[in-house]
Amino acid sequence: MSWVRDLISEKRIVVCCGAGGVGKTTAAAALALGAAQAERRVLVLTIDPSRRLAETLGIQRNTPEPVIIQPVDVEIPSPGMLSAWVLDPKLVSDRTVERLARSPDEARRLLMNPIYQRVTDMVAGMQEYTAMEALHGFIQQGRFDLVILDTPPSRNALNFLEAPQRLGEFLDGRILKLLLPRNPDAIIGTTRRIINAVLGTVFGEQFYADLQVFFASFAAIFSQLNGNSQRMRLRLQEDDTSFLLVTSPVREALDDAIYFQEKIHQLGLPLGGFLLNRSRVPMVERLFPGEFLLPPHPTPHHRSALGKLVGLARLEQNQVAQHKELVEELLSRTSHEVPLTAIPELAEGVETFVDLDTLASWMLDEQSSQTRPSTGAPEPADPPRQPMQGST
Amino acid sequence: MTSSAPTLQELLSHRVILVTGKGGVGRTTCTAALALTAARAGKRVMVAEIQEPTRQTWSPLARLFEESLLPSDSTPLAEGLWGVMLDSRKGTEAFLGSVFNVKALARLAMRTPPLLRFLDAAPSFHEMGIFYHVMEILRAQDHEGAHLYDLLVVDMPATGHTLALTGLPRVLLSLVNRGPMARALREGNQVLKDPAQTTALVVTIPEPLPVSETMELVDGLRASTVAVGGVVVNRIPRDPFTPQERLALADILPREPIAGRVEVDRISRARDSLDRLERGLDFPMIFVDEQPESDASSVLRGMASQLGGLLGGTS
Repeated sequence: MSWVRDLISEKRIVVCCGAGGVGKTTAAAALALGAAQAERRVLVLTIDPSRRLAETLGIQRNTPEPVIIQPVDVEIPSPGMLSAWVLDPKLVSDRTVERLARSPDEARRLLMNPIYQRVTDMVAGMQEYTAMEALHGFIQQGRFDLVILDTPPSRNALNFLEAPQRLGEFLDGRILKLLLPRNPDAIIGTTRRIINAVLGTVFGEQFYADLQVFFASFAAIFSQLNGNSQRMRLRLQEDDTSFLLVTSPVREALDDAIYFQEKIHQLGLPLGGFLLNRSRVPMVERLFPGEFLLPPHPTPHHRSALGKLVGLARLEQNQVAQHKELVEELLSRTSHEVPLTAIPELAEGVETFVDLDTLASWMLDEQSSQTRPSTGAPEPADPPRQPMQGST
Repeated sequence: MTSSAPTLQELLSHRVILVTGKGGVGRTTCTAALALTAARAGKRVMVAEIQEPTRQTWSPLARLFEESLLPSDSTPLAEGLWGVMLDSRKGTEAFLGSVFNVKALARLAMRTPPLLRFLDAAPSFHEMGIFYHVMEILRAQDHEGAHLYDLLVVDMPATGHTLALTGLPRVLLSLVNRGPMARALREGNQVLKDPAQTTALVVTIPEPLPVSETMELVDGLRASTVAVGGVVVNRIPRDPFTPQERLALADILPREPIAGRVEVDRISRARDSLDRLERGLDFPMIFVDEQPESDASSVLRGMASQLGGLLGGTS
């Protein structure tokens, strides 16, 4: 079985990471469709789907609950089920406040606070945090066998992993203590005086007062959020979780992959593998254009068109060679344990369920690996690299 | 392809160009190429990237100029061109310095770890600091009182951030309406919302999905403070076929897969996407050809020389 199929058949959480523009959201949707076809009840939790993908899936932003998707022209055998939800950070945050507040009054005060109302837009890491919170909630509900998380868009594939830590720093109780008004425990020391002077002067007294009220009512909730965040990090270290890096065939992908692997290892998170999207490596064997294409009585236009087609064919061959080189370099510079699958770009883009299905079969099916040319075996001394499909 | 010399000329006459666009369209290279073009046209240009919240070991913009990261104090990159990493702490320090006439207090504040951590993580402070750093660069003057930099070109990160940063003064002003911060925000907002001074440039490529996303992005930007001044269509593939050859090509392409077909289809797709873009958006457009080389610095050189050619055509 392919490693991706193993993943979507066995895991409970799959987190798709990747820099912006690599096709991460589409890959997550295709994986989810594949998992549903493998008879799992799957939820794809997405952040910012393109309008077209959202239309294809038939999902909308700002729905309160996941929506069950009825694919067109693609069968999902029972009990398989495909659901999707577009993350709404404000909604997740509001629900968390309502759940954790000590009284409905406290919840209302906080929800009405002007600073709180902007907090999901303004606090760095809040989007990532709410994604985790939502993930956690859906896993606990037990309605889904598998949740696939498409991480927030960012240039840096690792932002998702580091953001909650930043939020943790913000939620740090020691900072809060310094800011809270008339806190009996607070030491009226130099630090507090500097902070009061700086913030009071800079913001003006009104905003500083708002800020203190905000912190006072949010303090208790903060510490709980912090606890949640810690637990979630531990949860993501478990065996039934897997992180995927979706990347594209450009030079930067190499740095991304190497850095990602190191970081994931440092954080003790399980790395599933690399999905190299839009690769020209897995291309079916093709004829090379030549005289045989010409009709019995070719016009000069036929001949010149053929000449130019041959030019484009050479260009393509060069690209395939470059992409192969990149795959080889990726394989040689990342751990031998980490599998990699190259997926081709669909010529017309991904617009229908049939397209998603095609993409899913490229990721999941062993058959498709036969159309993948060998990516060049490693040096004889190297152990064979198991996971690269079709290469061994 | 229509040439866009007047558009480019006009764009480069701004004080700030914010370059935005979805990931994977070559936004950073466009930023660098525009900055380089303006510098070659005799302007004093600062090209900037924004410090990411997470630690970075290298940045794509710096790498184009054979550096790993740009410093938060500017560094010369070429004749008339400097590079900088917009850094929230630097901005915050400058801001505090201007608030407390005594620099010492600002410096003391910047050496108070809990305050720093708070400022790093608190609502919008990161962006506020970056914003203030931008203001510092725009205000910088030489001995004769002339601006040190005629033009600042900023490589804006993911779309969400662009909106956060450009919408920031307004959002913050709704919360903080008095005091030094409010004054700084108003001043910055003036610069951002003045279309003669600031413009946003959206980079895209002629492919179906990026074109759709660009239309969505432009829609989103309409509501923001900054005016969209134009669209850069990057990586336009060269179409080698004459109309007659294209007809002839339809005769000879076989049903079975053949090498070259992927490129033929991509060229047609690019043409359709360009059509759709031009019908859908009434913004000035700058067209940039796909570069034959694939390594980053060759692409930058190729783009800059093409943009330079566009400018040269009018002088």
